[in-house]
Amino acid sequence: MQSYEYYAPRSLPEALEYLAENTGNCRIIAGGTDLIPALRKEDIHPAHLLNILEIVEARGISETGETVRIGAITTFNDLADSELIRKEFPLLAEMALLVGGPQTRNRGTIGGNISSAAPAADGLPVLLSLDAELELSSRRGKRSLPLNEAITKAWTPAWDDDEMITAIKVNKLPPGTRTKFYKLARRKALARSRMTISLILRSGSGGEIEELRFVPGSVMPVPRRMEEVEKLLTGKVPTDELLDRAARAVGEEMVKVTGIRWSTGYKKPVLGNLFRIVLRQLITAG
Amino acid sequence: MKAARKVIMVKVQVKTILKMTVNGEPVEVAVDPTWTLLRVIREELGLTGTKEGCGIGDCGACTVLMEGKPVNSCLVLALQAEGKEVRTVEGLGTEENLDPLQESFIKYGAVQCGFCTPGMLISARALLDKNPHPTTEEIKVAISGNLCRCTGYVKIIQAIQQAAQQG
Repeated sequence: MQSYEYYAPRSLPEALEYLAENTGNCRIIAGGTDLIPALRKEDIHPAHLLNILEIVEARGISETGETVRIGAITTFNDLADSELIRKEFPLLAEMALLVGGPQTRNRGTIGGNISSAAPAADGLPVLLSLDAELELSSRRGKRSLPLNEAITKAWTPAWDDDEMITAIKVNKLPPGTRTKFYKLARRKALARSRMTISLILRSGSGGEIEELRFVPGSVMPVPRRMEEVEKLLTGKVPTDELLDRAARAVGEEMVKVTGIRWSTGYKKPVLGNLFRIVLRQLITAG
Repeated sequence: MKAARKVIMVKVQVKTILKMTVNGEPVEVAVDPTWTLLRVIREELGLTGTKEGCGIGDCGACTVLMEGKPVNSCLVLALQAEGKEVRTVEGLGTEENLDPLQESFIKYGAVQCGFCTPGMLISARALLDKNPHPTTEEIKVAISGNLCRCTGYVKIIQAIQQAAQQG
């Protein structure tokens, strides 16, 4: 590994000061599960490394009224173990338990998962389906940024170099909402996602879909809500015929973004079918 | 002026001297900021029970407990262990007084080449400390970050089950 200066402050102001002083050649390290392999392979050459794992302001999960604040250095296992997360956002806990293995879940953080902005990051689709917002901090102050504006290009956060994520904010879901995260991968553990489905559903008294939020993961450079598919189903009773149509639309929407690739013949039908299977499970579960 | 001086001292301290607890003993090591915890454990402290396999967090051979939780020591910078409690396979038992898991691994022949064994033992210890009577499924999840290329998983799972029944 190359040389760099390492700094591990215990307070947020010290971290933000350091970040501002070294803009452009400072990398933030938290769990290190992405960064340490990148340093080892010499894919990155930072002059400064800022460890944020000791910063209290970026730690912990708390609720204020209808909003849950998840500290950026919350690990995947912290998420899976949190009563509050399991109760309010079960799909977030389901996702967390499917990341890597126990060792990586004890180190990898949700803030790091977002910042790396990998196309196969499992935290991104789930948090996008939850309409999450980022709390960004810098020496200039704090601001909120909707997650769907924070990552617009793969591997590239859209916030400024002197800013860091201190927390993720998610609003609680209305009563009666059901959620599901499904991961398709080559193995049960230590496996990068091939495709994921993040679904949030609320049904009306007549069986019609009142609200649907759907984000496919790992199939596009940057995951986003498939609003075209959501609109197709919202306000309607999900008959078999309608679900077939929606499943086809899912594949078509994916191809609009990715174009035809070597894997399209597989991914297009499989993604649509997975969407239909998971949605049907959610519908019958209630 | 005083505040600025304090910041510099903190930087110098964490850049060079690492203080942590390893297997119950406080240690102080001069480390380079680029070193991993694995390197310090093996090469500076001479605790070579912890193995280096892939070096990128895929195999689990370097698993140690940090604050009681299993982590890949190849994916922890040494300086990130500052002030933390680390337990390696050498801290599980002694030759005269083995950990029940070690006894059980021997009894069930849950060791072939032995390279994954320290990591397997540490992951199993973390499981039993948290959950003394795990199901087979819970055991499989607990060791899902540890690869055994001699394909000895069945015996490893049996050995962990047996150790749990005794404890």
